Amino acid sequence: MATVRTQREIRQKAPLWLIGLLLANVVIMAIDARDNQGQQQIVRVWTQTVATPVQNVSSKAGGATSNFFHQIFSFRSIAAENEQLKQRVTEIESQLHTSRLQAAENERLKGLLDLRNQTTYQTLPARVIARDPSVWFNTITIDRGTSSGVKINMPVVSATGIVGRVITVSPWAAQVMLVTDEKAGAGAVVGQLGESGALGSVRGRPDLGLIEMRYVSGLEKVTLGDYVMTTGQDGIYPPGLNVGEVVDVKNGTATQPHQILIRPGARLDRLEEVAVLLYEAPQRTAPAQTLPNVEKKKQ
Amino acid sequence: MPIADRQLSIAQIFLENTLRVPIGPIGVRQLAISNTIMPQLKIAAVLALSILLQLSLRVLWPPLSYIDFPLIVVVYIALQRDAWRALLVGTLAGIIVDASSGGLIGAGGFSKTLTAYIIYFAATKVNLENPLVRIPVLAAATVLDSAIYVFWHRLLGYPPVLPLMQTISYRLIATTIAGTLVLYMLDSIIADRSAQQRQFATRRRVARRSTGTLRRR
Repeated sequence: MATVRTQREIRQKAPLWLIGLLLANVVIMAIDARDNQGQQQIVRVWTQTVATPVQNVSSKAGGATSNFFHQIFSFRSIAAENEQLKQRVTEIESQLHTSRLQAAENERLKGLLDLRNQTTYQTLPARVIARDPSVWFNTITIDRGTSSGVKINMPVVSATGIVGRVITVSPWAAQVMLVTDEKAGAGAVVGQLGESGALGSVRGRPDLGLIEMRYVSGLEKVTLGDYVMTTGQDGIYPPGLNVGEVVDVKNGTATQPHQILIRPGARLDRLEEVAVLLYEAPQRTAPAQTLPNVEKKKQ
Repeated sequence: MPIADRQLSIAQIFLENTLRVPIGPIGVRQLAISNTIMPQLKIAAVLALSILLQLSLRVLWPPLSYIDFPLIVVVYIALQRDAWRALLVGTLAGIIVDASSGGLIGAGGFSKTLTAYIIYFAATKVNLENPLVRIPVLAAATVLDSAIYVFWHRLLGYPPVLPLMQTISYRLIATTIAGTLVLYMLDSIIADRSAQQRQFATRRRVARRSTGTLRRR
């Protein structure tokens, strides 16, 4: 009898529970949406702090399984690959010798010109512990947070190019928006900064897994295979970092900009280790709040 | 009062008040504990496993992320006509997945909770226990969950980065195929109710036979 009554109670109270839980979710969503526009992300930091151990476990389990399958599939090609690698080692040894000589020469020249080494940003190595579990967004989670000095909007890079920027930081983890995300953006130039006039801005094209470069003057010469570098004018990335390689150009005219697609330099689908650049862009001076002619009138 | 008796009375109060289990002699108590707590532990374990799978499978092969494992578990529990568990599991699963995602926290919780309730409501009105009927239920749940999730993101100014129809279609196909298999597996893991129903069906059949014989005589 007691069980029957309970079932009836459950059936009667279910709509109330539903409304309560839905309201709780809406409140959390509203707070998160509001926080995303500011610097304080209370809900996200707390939930991420709780989720970090789970992500660590899943990352290790996924990595181990992936390695296991990878080893099985790659077993056949190991012998051929070994031969190739031996040849490659010989080549690299000779290249290394040459590059050591060049590096020494470079150092001497830099010393003579009293130039600061622009690539010596302080970096923090980090491991990718999770990828976005939903299909709708494109973020990764790294195992470094505020306890390691990571802050919001710090750039994240790999050895081959920029990866993205930090969008959420909890004490032991941080969420990174990939450069292929539609909301990601950076100032970029085709070729070397100072040599090329093909300046523009890049933003992600998640539907293609590429990056789109916009606002490059149609009068500038851009060809397939050109490298794209950051300009440092976006307030996030320092200048001179590799963005990627031009894979498609629809040439513009004098009045229309080029339409350029770039393949990211970093292998974003297979990221395991990245580095956070502990770089904070120089603060820009606030624009003048009052117009000069207004001041004149007051005087 | 001896300590053992006091402990039993605490357990009795807990079972009666929290789990709403009628308590009888000691043997019945043990049976009640195994019947109420064990399924909950199984559900918790299955939910944890589904979340781990959801977090880790994308690393193995990115298209596997189109399968929504927590949603499959939510659908399964809702089909068992257990409203409280379905709603709670929906909210928990959604929020945990949201915490690791770039989307809004709570959007997944909202969509899974509402989906769980709608399936629970349908299951109380129509018999959805048939494995073939579960396939369209899974498909409908996937579409509903995706639509609600995207609706909240668009409403609050965070539109998802992928094309809507294409992503929903891929999710529909992947989750329905994987879900059909997973529901079959879950039936064998958490099949207390199914086993009970089978037992009752057998007993009813035996009872009908015997009463039929008596009537003929």
